[in-house]
Amino acid sequence: MAPIVQCMGLTKTYGGKIALNQIYLNLERGRIIGLLGPNGSGKTTLIKIMNGLLNPTAGDIFINGLRPGIETKYRISYLPERTYLQPGMKVMEMVQYFQDFYPDFRAERAYDMLARLQIQPYERLKNLSKGTKEKVQLILVMSRDADLYILDEPIAGVDPASRDYILHTIVQNYNRNATILLSTHLISDVENILDEVVFIRYGNIILQAGAEEIRRNEGKSVDRFFREVFAC
Amino acid sequence: MLARLMKYEWKATWKLLVPVNLLIVVMTFFACITARIDFFNSDNDGIIFSAVMIILTYVASMFAAMIGTAVFLIYRFYTSVYGDQGYLLHTLPVDKHHIILAKVLASGAWVLLSSVLMNMSILFLFNEEEDIFTRFIDNVNIMTEWAGVSVVSGFAVLMTFIAYLVEILARVLKVSACISLGQLSSNHKLMTAFAFYFAIYIVQQIVNGFYYAILGYINTRTGNWYYGKSWEFTLISGLLYIVAFYAATWYVMERKLNLD
Repeated sequence: MAPIVQCMGLTKTYGGKIALNQIYLNLERGRIIGLLGPNGSGKTTLIKIMNGLLNPTAGDIFINGLRPGIETKYRISYLPERTYLQPGMKVMEMVQYFQDFYPDFRAERAYDMLARLQIQPYERLKNLSKGTKEKVQLILVMSRDADLYILDEPIAGVDPASRDYILHTIVQNYNRNATILLSTHLISDVENILDEVVFIRYGNIILQAGAEEIRRNEGKSVDRFFREVFAC
Repeated sequence: MLARLMKYEWKATWKLLVPVNLLIVVMTFFACITARIDFFNSDNDGIIFSAVMIILTYVASMFAAMIGTAVFLIYRFYTSVYGDQGYLLHTLPVDKHHIILAKVLASGAWVLLSSVLMNMSILFLFNEEEDIFTRFIDNVNIMTEWAGVSVVSGFAVLMTFIAYLVEILARVLKVSACISLGQLSSNHKLMTAFAFYFAIYIVQQIVNGFYYAILGYINTRTGNWYYGKSWEFTLISGLLYIVAFYAATWYVMERKLNLD
C-alpha cells in the first residue's frame, strides 16, 4: 500500500528565506509519528502544506496519492496550534458544524468524550478556559474516522495533569489503520506512544527512525537523544 | 456545501445584524411620530427638546447602523477567512468558490437589507402630505433620474434595481479582494489591504471621471444636472469590477494562502 504521505523535493521559501529544503519523506499507514524539531525548524510549514494551507515553492506532496485539495481534506483531521473555534458558538453547535462538513465525523463519540471531561454541550465556547477550548478542539478532531490525523502541538497549552488524558484520548480514539503525525517539543510526554520519529532542523529532515530503534541503538530515550542532537 | 456554508454565515451574523436592522425600524417609528405630531411647534420647551433629541438619535442610529454593519461584516470576513478561524474554514472539504460565494452573498444580503430599510425609513419620514404609494413612485422617479433614465418604464426601473444590486456586490467584493490582497504582504497585511483599497478607489474615480467627461451629467428626460451614473454604466462597470475582485480574492485564497 502506498504511503499516506509522500514528499518529493518539497521546498518552501518565504522571500529569500528557506523554510523547507527539498524534503523527501514517506509516512507509512497505521503509525504514530512524532515530528520533532526546535522552534522555527519547519514543522508547522510542513504541516500547513499537508493541509493545503500553504502552497509549496517547489517539489510535490501527495496525501493518499493525491495533491492537497478537497479530496485530501476529507481524509485529514487537523488540529492546529491555534484555537479555531467560533467563540459565539456553543459546544453542541461546533459538534453539529463538524457533522455537517465531515461525513466521517462521529457525534456520539464526541459527546461521550465531552461527558467524560464534564464539558457541557450547551456551554458557549467564549465562556470556556483556554485549556478547555483546546480539549474541545481535540475531541472534535479525534471524533473523525480519518486516514491521517495531524496534531500540531496538542499538549503545549494544557496543564501536565491533562496531558495524560489528552494522549490517552488520542491513542484510544484514532482509527487503527490511520496515521497520527504529532508535532511537539514536549518529547518526554509523548515518547511512550510514538512508533516513529522524524527530526527536522532548518527545513531539512535529519533523521527518520523507529522510536524503539533509537532507544536500542543509541541506548537512551528519544527525549535524551533529541536534546543531544539539537543541543545549542 | 454552499448551502451549509451560508447557513453558518447566517448563524454567525444574525445575532448582531437583526437587532441593528430592528433599530432602524424602531427609530423610524419614533421619528415619524415626532414629525407627524409636530412637537416642534409646541409651547413646551421640554417637548421641543425631546423632539429634537429623538430626531438626533434617529440620525445617529442611521449612521451607527450603516457604519456598524460595514465594520462588522469586514471584521467577520477578516477573522473567519484569514484569522484563527481560517484554520478551520480552509481545511473544510469545500471549494474555495463556495467559500467566497457564501461570504459575499451573505454580506451582500445584509447590506441590501440595511440599504432598503434606510431608504424606506427616509421615505416614511418625509411622507407628510402625500400617500405612501405616491411618495414611492416619486422616489423611483428620483432614483431613475439619478441613474440617467430618460424614459421611465418598467424595464428601466428593473434595470436600475439590478444595477444597484450589482453595485452592492461589487462593493462587498472590493473589500474582500483588498483584504485578500493584503495577505500577500508577510508583515503588514492590514496596511497593504488599505493601500489596495485606496489604489482601487483612485482607479475607479478616474474611470468615473472619464465617464462624466464623455457623457456629461445632464439627464435627457428632465434636462437637469444630476450626480449619478447611468444604469448601463453602473451595470457594465459593476460586472467588470465583480469579475476582477472575485478573481483576485479567489487567486489569493487558492494560490497564495498564508495564514499567520
